[in-house]
Amino acid sequence: MSTAVDAATGTPLPAVGAAERRTSRSLWRRVLAQRPAVIGLSILGFLVLVAIFADVLAAYDPEKSVIGTEAAQFAKARAAPCIHALGCPADRPEHLMGLDGNVIDEFARVVFGARVSLLIGFVTVGGAILVGLVIGAIAGYAGGWVDNALMRLMEVILAFPALLLSIVIVTILGAGLLNAMIAVAIVAIPIYARVMRASVLSVREQDYVTAARAMGDSPIGILVRRVMPNALTPMIVQGTLGIGTAILEVAALSFLGLGAQIPTPEWGQMIGREYNNIQNAAHLIFFPGVALTLTVLGFNLLGDGLRDAFDPRLTR
Amino acid sequence: MTRPSGRLPRFATLLAGAAIVVAACTPAASNAPSTGATAGPTTAATGAAAIKYPATGEVTCPSGATAGSYNGTEYKGNLKSIEAPDASTVIFNLCAPDVAFLQKIAFSVFYINDSAWIEKHAADGTIKDTMNGTGPYKLDAWNKGTELTFSKFDNYWNKDKYPLVPNAVLRWSKEAGARLQALQGGQVTGITLVGPNDFDTVKNDPNLLLAPAPEGQALNTLYLGMNHDDKPWDKLEVRKAVALAIDRQRIVTNFYPAGSEVATHFTPCAIKYACEGPDWPSSGTAADIQKAKDLLTQAGFPNGFKTKIQYRNVFRGYLPQPPVVAQDLKEQLAKIGIDATVEEQESGTLIANANSGKLDGLFLLGWGADYPEVTNFMDYHFGGGCTAAFGTCYPDIATPLGKGNSTTDDAARKAAYTEANTKLIDDVPMVPIAHGQYANAYLAGTEGTQVSAISTEVMWAMKPPSTATDPNTVVLMQNAEPIGVYCADETDGESLRACEQSMEGLYGYAVGGTDVVPVLATSCDPNTAGTQWTCKLRQGVTFHDGSTFDAQDVVLSFAVQWDAAHPLHKGDTGIFEYWGGLWGGNLNPPPPATPAPS
Repeated sequence: MSTAVDAATGTPLPAVGAAERRTSRSLWRRVLAQRPAVIGLSILGFLVLVAIFADVLAAYDPEKSVIGTEAAQFAKARAAPCIHALGCPADRPEHLMGLDGNVIDEFARVVFGARVSLLIGFVTVGGAILVGLVIGAIAGYAGGWVDNALMRLMEVILAFPALLLSIVIVTILGAGLLNAMIAVAIVAIPIYARVMRASVLSVREQDYVTAARAMGDSPIGILVRRVMPNALTPMIVQGTLGIGTAILEVAALSFLGLGAQIPTPEWGQMIGREYNNIQNAAHLIFFPGVALTLTVLGFNLLGDGLRDAFDPRLTR
Repeated sequence: MTRPSGRLPRFATLLAGAAIVVAACTPAASNAPSTGATAGPTTAATGAAAIKYPATGEVTCPSGATAGSYNGTEYKGNLKSIEAPDASTVIFNLCAPDVAFLQKIAFSVFYINDSAWIEKHAADGTIKDTMNGTGPYKLDAWNKGTELTFSKFDNYWNKDKYPLVPNAVLRWSKEAGARLQALQGGQVTGITLVGPNDFDTVKNDPNLLLAPAPEGQALNTLYLGMNHDDKPWDKLEVRKAVALAIDRQRIVTNFYPAGSEVATHFTPCAIKYACEGPDWPSSGTAADIQKAKDLLTQAGFPNGFKTKIQYRNVFRGYLPQPPVVAQDLKEQLAKIGIDATVEEQESGTLIANANSGKLDGLFLLGWGADYPEVTNFMDYHFGGGCTAAFGTCYPDIATPLGKGNSTTDDAARKAAYTEANTKLIDDVPMVPIAHGQYANAYLAGTEGTQVSAISTEVMWAMKPPSTATDPNTVVLMQNAEPIGVYCADETDGESLRACEQSMEGLYGYAVGGTDVVPVLATSCDPNTAGTQWTCKLRQGVTFHDGSTFDAQDVVLSFAVQWDAAHPLHKGDTGIFEYWGGLWGGNLNPPPPATPAPS
């Protein structure tokens, strides 16, 4: 294993497997040195703020139409955006992103959509990591036929195109946001299981593990205290990249009508319901589309940056 | 525009002679199979060219609530027998007068096939994939998943008039946006069902022509249904509360294209007798909401209840934006405490669930006219053999409908439909919401553009503009692929439209209109009692495969649908759903089946 050099400081990096020796400060510095990671972090920070303060940002209910509460000549389905600062008449109610097909404020739906999407991303990937971690750890640590059986099972799942398999699972479970999340999580499990197994295999025969074993550590104790910390880094990178994918896949399922149901403000579903109106109400596809793109971009940039920051073999 | 009458029967004598030969070759009545159930058309014992179906046994007609019988099985239908005294005459004997007889035989489900063709292709199962009609276009190929291609039939009986151009192609795309793009790109001559929000896009495009249904002629109805066999819809107060709570005007104003109307009655008023009786009461005002809440309290639901709004995401004239309307209904019902979740079901699943009475929540469904007659709307939903979607039939609605469909007396029909419509308001099996406006679009300069109230746009009466990519080929894009092209056993408008291009019936509908005109018959006239219709067949008509059209073709085309035990009672599903719905029932009936909303 060659010794890598930190791009920022020029000092030699500690070898793989010594993650715990890194101080959190230097790690942070290394992440911030990655431009993509910084951009990704900024986008995500912004999104998190939007999600947290959705109630404050949106002046309208994302599930309630403005029919009856606004003058009939303005409260029209799929009305174009009205922004006072850009010259929209002041007597007309302001709708930054226009109104949707149900005469609901689109801005409110996009903003609350951030909440839904982030939740989808973290819960889905969190669930997948949890299961993947257990399967990977058992497979790697136990070895032999257990390893073989578990990993072949994972490969079977991997062999199917992700979206196709999710559709099959949702078809069995029934349409709905929760079921779509479960489906996407199931499909993602093998990725994390393999990462975990690889980490376990790489440290299982290390001297310090042997030492721990000699000192009477239980297998569980060794897994949790000696092996897990080594797996953490690739897991974080993989997980960050996975969140973007998960959001996209749930959006795809919702687009097809299998995920989030009416009236949940979910971006994929919002696009799916309006794509036939691209010629007369493009804003209803544009805004949720941009939001979705930004979110996925944010997670992917951060994931890439993290991978580069954590990978000692990559020099810049 | 009406279809003109054809040439004089030049070969009448020759054809009659040929028919006698054909008829003489079939077994005589005395040699017919012992059960009438499987009897094909046979000659009478006299040896003349007479055919009768059923050849043996007598059909006993239903009377009142008592079913009739045939061959030891129950018979609920209204057709008693079909006879062909000679090769150019067909007589339909009915149990009771049928006010919509001509409209029914003009419906594409009852288009005529060659008897030899049925015998060969129904038997081997290929009849649903190919057509052999008498129409202006013959089907050249059905490239599954892509298109149907047609070309001019050189021996068409009315070839001086139709088709207008030698070739035609029927394509499809279920996305309204994709259909519009195909039209804008000039790949097609016309499209059906312009997206509800694209009316202006088409209007403002100088290269395109919007063809909306004429004012008040949108022959369809959207309704919100409730099954009164299920809780809580078993309580009349609950059904009334739902009816009161829904602001129907709000739905039509906000979510339907201009020209759509709030339904005052279940059947659109352009249809005769549809709007006898009082208008559907107003609803959705603050006072109505309060009344609805009181009714729910009376019914034992002071805090409302949870339910579902079930719908299918299929674009129909009566419901151009299903999810949008479902979501708005949810919001409206929340005002009286009904907490509804919106549930999308696959189209076929929802129809099957509706027909078997399994939709336990509220459901959005509709009906588009098959033919413009009040019975087509009312009888299927609320008549004696009503759909199971609303639960057990409401007898106080079915009784007047039974009176209305069996008399031609104007005053009696008015009275019957007044009573039926009044009872609909009293019983609230559903809430009629809207008659949806819809439109087709064509390239500007297209001749013979049509928008049919009954989905019968025919390409043989269209001509693309001279500037089109190929001025000799008319291309129509509809919203789905046909399921099969043996339309006797299909119910969806997309399949029926394919049949319209190539097949013909005894009667047909005027191009783009709803008036019946004689086609393969030169006339069909009733006797004074209205129970016997005598049709004189057009002479000199040949099928695309060269065989000659005669009375035997008519008898067999009807018989294979009518008799559920006929060896050729085979098609796509073998259910022949429309027969039961339109004629009341089959000979040797299978388990009950009803047509799906089209």
